[in-house]
Amino acid sequence: MIQARDVVKTYVDGDGTQVRVLDGMSLDVTEGEFVAVVGSSGSGKSTLLHLLGGLDVDYRGDISVGGVKLRGLGDKALAHFRNTHVGFVFQSFHLIPNLSAVENVLLPSHFGVAPPDARKRAEALLERVGLGAKKDRAPVRLSGGERQRVAIARALFGKPRLLLCDEPTGNLDAATGTGVIALFQDLHREGLTVLCVTHEERMSAAAGRVLRLKDGQLVEERAGLQVATGGSP
Amino acid sequence: MRLDALSRLVRLSLARERKGAFFSAFGVAMGVGALVFFVGLGLGVGAVIREKVFPTDARLVDVVPPAVSLGSLLGGGTLDAPTVERLRELPGVEAAYRKMNVRVPAVTRYDGVFFGTRLRMGMEVLALGVEPALVQGDVQMGEFKDAGEGQPIPALVSTRLLELYNKTFAPARKLPQLSANMLVGFGFPVEFNRSYVAAASASGPTQSGQAQVVGASDRALLAGITIPLDAAIRLNRAFGVDAENYSGVTLVATDPSQVPVIVDAVKGMGLEIDDQERRMAENSGAAVALTTSALALLSLLICILAAVNIAHSLSASVRARAKEIGVMQAVGASRADIRAIVLAEAAVVGLAGGAAGTIAALLLALGVNRLAAGYLPNFPFKPDSFFSFPWPVVAGGVALGLLAALAGAYFPSRRAAATDPARTLAG
Ligand SMILES: Nc1ncnc2c1ncn2[C@@H]1O[C@H](COP(=O)(O)OP(=O)(O)O)[C@@H](O)[C@H]1O
Ligand SMILES: [Mg+2]
Repeated sequence: MIQARDVVKTYVDGDGTQVRVLDGMSLDVTEGEFVAVVGSSGSGKSTLLHLLGGLDVDYRGDISVGGVKLRGLGDKALAHFRNTHVGFVFQSFHLIPNLSAVENVLLPSHFGVAPPDARKRAEALLERVGLGAKKDRAPVRLSGGERQRVAIARALFGKPRLLLCDEPTGNLDAATGTGVIALFQDLHREGLTVLCVTHEERMSAAAGRVLRLKDGQLVEERAGLQVATGGSP
Repeated sequence: MRLDALSRLVRLSLARERKGAFFSAFGVAMGVGALVFFVGLGLGVGAVIREKVFPTDARLVDVVPPAVSLGSLLGGGTLDAPTVERLRELPGVEAAYRKMNVRVPAVTRYDGVFFGTRLRMGMEVLALGVEPALVQGDVQMGEFKDAGEGQPIPALVSTRLLELYNKTFAPARKLPQLSANMLVGFGFPVEFNRSYVAAASASGPTQSGQAQVVGASDRALLAGITIPLDAAIRLNRAFGVDAENYSGVTLVATDPSQVPVIVDAVKGMGLEIDDQERRMAENSGAAVALTTSALALLSLLICILAAVNIAHSLSASVRARAKEIGVMQAVGASRADIRAIVLAEAAVVGLAGGAAGTIAALLLALGVNRLAAGYLPNFPFKPDSFFSFPWPVVAGGVALGLLAALAGAYFPSRRAAATDPARTLAG
């Protein structure tokens, strides 16, 4: 599902100095895996997700996701890739405040080929994340956990096979976080590939494999139980 | 991006930026409204000048003998019959109509009931004979030809004279308002070879006759009466003055574009062009055009300010929405999509402002016409409408609003499209 080879990502700082955030990073994720990425703050975890999701194409190395080689894709092709191949879930939900829950879920339909049953599909997704009854609520009238569920439903709208999550429980209290983690587990069980950046112990415990981002490289923290690439024999 | 999706997203952000959008549209409406109003006023007043005050036919060229007849010493410069023939033969000339003044003074003395009012007055009249064909369209009674001595002479009055009489002369003297139709058939005495001002200008006997109004014409002499050419020739012969040379010839060009060629040829023959009318029309037209242009320029400036205002408020709104734009990019918006959203927002504001401004200008014009009709005194050539709004002006107003808004949105839309989602979504 994900193949990244020798990825180097450099930011130019405000004072002109180059900061190498990813330094020859490689990553392989097989279809259907649930991978957690941990690392100290500022180690480049968000940067990694943006690269994998086609939000940032300014890097060296090779990345291919779901069979799509990201290098060389034009603006339109990249947009289409984001619309159909990956779903993003962010720490701070990033819902659009003056759209109702269901309209937020429908947002991706405005930028791709909208299925004729788009609204029904959005409602079914809300049902799926347990918010069927609150589909017409504005985000301000939803709790943090509910907002994140709406965001997950939105991420699922384009039928992606890969979810990229950036500390999805970071803004939630423990109890609410547990529910969201359970939701990810369910989705994973249904066949979705999940790559989750997290600080949360329980999240990494739920993942099949844990990687640590350190000094610009990914190192195995805990090998997968079932499918372990590069694991011990 | 699909149109329905675009319209949903535009409605979404306009609903949020309601106040800003309103003021942006208001600015556009001010600029467009002012422009449409002033252009409509300029066109309207210009039309009044062209059609009522100085009605000039672009195909007519008035030829007159030179004022200082040096030409006659050189054997040219008079408008005798052979010269008229040569004029008629000039390339580009379709027809030539001869004119001759009655070359003795004349007066009219009226003492009687004048359309219900007792009137006693005497005044000098100038009489100009013209070929009937030149004024045929304006003759409403009988045939425009000399019926011989002792018979009433058909006479045309100037439509402009009638207007001046109705709007200034008559009200001051409590005389009735006249229309051309009312005047037709009206007869009045004329004494030829007699003058109040130059007592002894002509010698010999006077001749009394009747003139009868048969219509009003744009082509008639402003201060006097216009009679058949034959009558003028007969009178001049009778008084022993020049009855051979014409006072002027009106040439009709086959096409307005031929006029300059004809003018050159005429001047080459040692003759002059009487273009006083045309020049006055052109000068007043130019004055109106200049004033209109100045006001239009001012309005355009307002439009530019409106565009700057839109640029400002859109920039602010784009900056405030950076996160939202990042989210849209994350779920599949391309840079072109983001740009289209911002441009479409501006387009809606511009179209709304342009339409509102244009409608306001039309309503204001209607109001001004009403006020003018009700409160302005009746002056000569006072039109029913001071405005003219041909459809390109109306459509242009709306289009200008759109254009101003899109111009204002140019940089904000680029800035929005350049939003780096990785940066706005982090954290
Ligand atoms: N757009 C940017 N410009 C410059 N530096 C950046 C930018 N985005 C991130 N960084 C820097 O790159 C490093 C990694 O950032 P990030 O990927 O957000 O880390 P994490 O998500 O692991 O906390 C940090 O030092 C951060 O300051
Ligand atoms: Mg981060």
